[in-house]
Amino acid sequence: MTITEALRITQSVPRDARPFPVTLACGFTPLHLQTFLAAHLQLALPDRKVTIAPGVYGDLAGTLEAIGETAQVDAVVVAMEWPDLDPRLDYRNAGSWGLSAANDIVASARVMLDRIATALSRIPAGPRTALSLPTLALPPLFHTPGWQASQAELLLRSDVLRFAAEVAQQGRIAVINSQTLDTDSHAAARHDLKSDLYNGLPYSIEHADHVAAQLAMTVAPPPPKKGIISDLDDTLWSGIAGEVGPEAVTWDLSSHAQLHGIYQKLLSSLAESGTLIGVASKNDPAVVTKAFERKDLLLRPDQVFPIEVHWNAKSGSVARILEAWNISADSVIFVDDSPMELAEVAAAHPGIECVLFPRNDYAAALKMFQQLRDRCGKERVSKDDALRLESIRRGAAFREQVSTVATPESFLKDIGAVITFDFAVPGEPRVVELVNKTNQFNLNGQRYTEPDWQKLVTQPGAVLAAVSYEDKFGPLGTIAAAAGHIEGRKLTLDVWVMSCRAFARRIEHQTLKMLLGTTRAAEIEFRFAPTAKNSPLREFVTTLTGEEPKGEFRLTRSQFEAKCPALYHEVREMRRAEAHG
Amino acid sequence: MDDTRQRLTNCFQVVFPDLPQEALATASTATVAAWDSIAAITLMNVIEEEFGFQMDLDDLADLDSFEKVYSYLQKRLQVA
Repeated sequence: MTITEALRITQSVPRDARPFPVTLACGFTPLHLQTFLAAHLQLALPDRKVTIAPGVYGDLAGTLEAIGETAQVDAVVVAMEWPDLDPRLDYRNAGSWGLSAANDIVASARVMLDRIATALSRIPAGPRTALSLPTLALPPLFHTPGWQASQAELLLRSDVLRFAAEVAQQGRIAVINSQTLDTDSHAAARHDLKSDLYNGLPYSIEHADHVAAQLAMTVAPPPPKKGIISDLDDTLWSGIAGEVGPEAVTWDLSSHAQLHGIYQKLLSSLAESGTLIGVASKNDPAVVTKAFERKDLLLRPDQVFPIEVHWNAKSGSVARILEAWNISADSVIFVDDSPMELAEVAAAHPGIECVLFPRNDYAAALKMFQQLRDRCGKERVSKDDALRLESIRRGAAFREQVSTVATPESFLKDIGAVITFDFAVPGEPRVVELVNKTNQFNLNGQRYTEPDWQKLVTQPGAVLAAVSYEDKFGPLGTIAAAAGHIEGRKLTLDVWVMSCRAFARRIEHQTLKMLLGTTRAAEIEFRFAPTAKNSPLREFVTTLTGEEPKGEFRLTRSQFEAKCPALYHEVREMRRAEAHG
Repeated sequence: MDDTRQRLTNCFQVVFPDLPQEALATASTATVAAWDSIAAITLMNVIEEEFGFQMDLDDLADLDSFEKVYSYLQKRLQVA
């Protein structure tokens, strides 16, 4: 990104867009870092007006301490550099680089790191905080030649890493990955000494852009992809199973097929974090079944669902997998070693991300592995992530059984459904995550930053319910959430979402019944807005009100009771502490 | 308006978006409140991007009006 592009991005935002105030804490003149940070954040948050307020020059710790008192911002970005830990590490400073300075610098840096850690811990809950550790080289003040690290230098670096690990452990502070920055921003091109001495900005323009981009991604990360659909032959394993036999396909080092083994390990790891893994392969089903029976497979067969194996077009397989997962193509990555297959799928499923498996290009493979992790990686993994694939598999069994019984009533009566309502979950990350990624049964499609969510659930009369479900097919985990506020006998719902995995179980009816009962409301006002994807919610509302909603609407208790079908769930109400046992 | 003047006008519009078009030609550090030391550096970098050459930070202090920057650019472009 150029500075001109960055300025144009920040100037193109409508003036009435909702503000997204950010404090940029850094000890140097932020200059281009500020411009680029605003632009990258603006791209990530197109419906907000990003404004960046820099802190006090030369006083990073003081800037953070001041935030702790005010905290009227949506994000705090901390760009730490060596001079923030001791002024003698600043080229602009006239302090001595004598032999005795080195040990004293280490000692004073420790004190400053403690002060910064304390200031970070005192930032009130709400603002998203991103931290970059020193990105520039230390000045040549230590006694060793440049190719050898001095003890003081090693101590400084280890103290900084220990500090970072400790603040990251708090959960509210995200530390940017220096490994990624090292890949993007060449070390020798980072420091602009003239700019440092003339303007107080030590970063070259390119480096400022890279640091800003990574900080912005950390503040406003893109939603992770929900699933990967993979080919088999020469992708999940090396060889054509139908030709060499399922016992002869390989993914190990001795067969020079380790790339496929790494790919399997990565898919398995992503599956454990809740990424859905499916297979679309043109193959003989019996051969594939035998291959999946092999004990040395690094991706467990139970981590893969559905497996589409036949000789028809892969676009059809992808369509069926998307239907089984009930997610849209733009949430999915398709991996295949054939450019033709990728093109066929891409043409049929606009929005799907198609990735070529580079069989013989090891450098490209390395990039692909990182790309898959970047697209699907999550800041935190919840117990619901581990349940996702299994609940989809059970959902398929559920739908199959529903289709075979004479009446849904007899079926729903006998499945042993238990719904648990948790009314004390304001800080539960799973709830915000569910709200932000649910499209179909979603009241209005509104997405929430952590500060926005905090405001919503701490408003006067706030009502928040997280809903989890299980039946004889197994637990679905936390699958619905509703949030709003009660005023007199009117409940206003700003948020109501339910995972598509939970459809057809009358959970939405039970949720309304519970909300009306708990709040004693006579009516509910729904802050509804139509979106391109929320037709399931519109259809549900139509069954209750008799007309499709076009905007905000109200539902009275008597209206609901007149239309609510029989409900067979066992209902439990609990507090978060109980829920986690 | 010649090409250099037009391109310089575009640079000024990017750095000082609130400045009316008619005020650009007479703009200077004395007339534009937003033209502080930070804006001067940003303007210099935007001009570098537009014209594809590096400017010297030492020249910055003298380039305190639209006309002076325009004259500077004409000289640089002639040399090039």
